[in-house]
Amino acid sequence: MLDFLFSGWGAFWVTMGMLLPFAGMFWYVIHRKSVVDSGPGTTPRAAMSRLEGYWLTAVFVIFVTINLASLKFMPIIATARAATAGPPVQEVAVTATSWTYEMSSRQVETGKPVRFSARAKDTQHGFAVYHPDGRMLFTMLMMPGVSKPTTVVHTFSDPGTYKIRCLEYCGIAHHGMKDELTVVKSNAAT
Amino acid sequence: MTIASTIIAGTPVFGRMFSVDKSTGLEEINAWPALMIMASFIWLAVAGLLGLVMPATQMFDLDSGHFYTTLTLHGAALAFPFSFQLMVGVGLHRSGGCVGKPITGWLPAMCFITMNLGAALLTVAVLMGFKVSLVVMFPLPLVGAQMGIWSMNAVILGFTGIYLVLACMILLYPLLGLSMLFFGKKRQDLVLSERSLNDPGMLGMTLSALTLLIAGLPLVVVGTTLLLALYGVIPMSMAAWAAEPVVFQYCFYIFAHNLMEAMALMVSSAMYATLPLYLADGTRKLFSDKLANTALWILLLTSVTSFLHHFITFYPNQPASLSYWGNIMSWGTGIGAAISIFTVLATIWQHGLRAEPGIIAVLLGWALYILDGASAIVTSNVAWAYVLHGTMWQSGHTMTVILAMSLMWMGVLYHHYPVITGRKLDPALGTWFVRLFTVGGFGAAIAMLAGGAAGMPRRFADWNQEGWMVYGHMIMIFGLILGASFVVYAYNLLQSRDLNEAMGQRVGAT
Ligand code: HEM
Ligand SMILES: [Cu+2]
Repeated sequence: MLDFLFSGWGAFWVTMGMLLPFAGMFWYVIHRKSVVDSGPGTTPRAAMSRLEGYWLTAVFVIFVTINLASLKFMPIIATARAATAGPPVQEVAVTATSWTYEMSSRQVETGKPVRFSARAKDTQHGFAVYHPDGRMLFTMLMMPGVSKPTTVVHTFSDPGTYKIRCLEYCGIAHHGMKDELTVVKSNAAT
Repeated sequence: MTIASTIIAGTPVFGRMFSVDKSTGLEEINAWPALMIMASFIWLAVAGLLGLVMPATQMFDLDSGHFYTTLTLHGAALAFPFSFQLMVGVGLHRSGGCVGKPITGWLPAMCFITMNLGAALLTVAVLMGFKVSLVVMFPLPLVGAQMGIWSMNAVILGFTGIYLVLACMILLYPLLGLSMLFFGKKRQDLVLSERSLNDPGMLGMTLSALTLLIAGLPLVVVGTTLLLALYGVIPMSMAAWAAEPVVFQYCFYIFAHNLMEAMALMVSSAMYATLPLYLADGTRKLFSDKLANTALWILLLTSVTSFLHHFITFYPNQPASLSYWGNIMSWGTGIGAAISIFTVLATIWQHGLRAEPGIIAVLLGWALYILDGASAIVTSNVAWAYVLHGTMWQSGHTMTVILAMSLMWMGVLYHHYPVITGRKLDPALGTWFVRLFTVGGFGAAIAMLAGGAAGMPRRFADWNQEGWMVYGHMIMIFGLILGASFVVYAYNLLQSRDLNEAMGQRVGAT
């Protein structure tokens, strides 16, 4: 459930979950107070202030809950953790140049963290990994001229062919900047 | 007649929509604003069509170069010479009438010239092959020239154009706005509705001008250095620090992000100023000025540093702590939005609303802006940023925020139009504009967000895979509806009738 929530479509439904109640309230208030009866409201000031308190508290609580729940899904945290301890990491070094990728390896295993360390040589590029079912798993932004590579640690669970795409506009052949990654079943794990 | 009125009078078709009323003695607060508004609509006509060309190039599998050309022109023209210039025009007219000061002299003229000349130069550069998208993607301009994709001349022309546009937005316009607020003598004959700085309408305007000025300064320094090097005034080696991608990008987004926030402050304040005029019980008061001002301050304080959300996927080059900070501040702007939602709805609830097309356009634009805000805070969360950054979600957000603000300004313009031109608009056409715009605007926004959720990349000339074309078709359909709404709006301006004549007819009829 939370896995879905912090995917692309999860983001979509959370956004709709904010829009729809707002749109409902918006329509109700405007319709009621312009078409049905535009006379002055009779709600006492104190009741309005109470309502204000409930509304702002609810928004605040929802915002905090969503953000706390998201912590587990922040690639930054998995990446930082893998840097200190944890199981051995498979390394994939990536160098992006208009409009291809140079990769130290194009095959990794399931169940073992993979560290992608990516650099851009000429201009800004991206490195997005798509699951075989079409979902985007993560994307990275690379800029030339920085000392550290952009890094994500990701542990794959499904074997298959994963598409890689550049998601930072990098000139007239940007849409052709793609590659593939093969994920195979780990022979050590099972 | 001022130069501005003369130019309007000499412009075919668009000139008729905005010819200034000379009988009221208000030409000094009307002429330059009307000219800027007219120019903004010319840009809209051209660049709006380009919006439709984008899905068309993909559906009919045209050369991908056309897609990137239209992408760059569409984004740049609609964000700057359309939306920003529309804001400047309507905003200046409004502030002129609030503080009773004329909009004349060299500053408004320079604003007009730098914005339109700059945008025109950039357009020529793009047609020469300079396809860098609205956000420049530095160092792409220089790399493209090295690779021979476009010429160095196109780069110099393009940068000159961008520089002029920035000069208008960061220096000239804020200076003009602030000088009108704080300097010069008030002329009672120009005061239309007096306001003080305690008024949310005025506070927003002041905060907005200061934000542009301050957040834009780093980019002005970097841009000036680069431009001097491009023109050979200083050696390239002296500009090397400014040509560092990281330096350029951070300065760019400190400005670009706060530009959007400044425009939001400005348009929110215009809404806070306009809504009370349409309250059914005639009280002309917001539910609470204090609450409205609090929302503006929260928006300002949280937004300044929330630009860090643009670089979340750049980790560890952007340290994690800064990304979390950007995440938290972005959601903080959502608290500001929650307060303004309460203020607006409570105001209407307590006082009733006279639902005229102008104010309804403002309110629906604001509702679209709330949808956009929701999509924006979601993608600013560190976890979601990793699955949404670089997808159509971001284009949907960028386009929607600008579209929402434009709808609000078009509503405010609807309100001020009779004072500027002495002519009256047809409310039935106004209502149709609002309906079409609402369907087109919300539809296009949701279609683009859905594309992003499905992983469809933005600024990407190959939609025909993974089933993404569905979203392309939806963008096309809602885009056509959006286009139709602009046509209706423009037609309404074209056929507007003289106030006296319209009154006379009504008197004659009864
Ligand atoms: C006439 C209907 C319109 C259509 C069909 C349309 C279509 C599009 C499409 C397909 C994109 C995404 C391109 C991409 O990232 O791959 C886009 C981006 C954008 N649109 Fe529109 N658009 C329309 C009207 C407008 C209007 C009225 C505005 C402004 C008020 C606007 C402002 C923008 C901006 C700022 C971008 C972002 C460009 C970028 O990120 O590079 N569009 N539009
Ligand atoms: Cu690339």
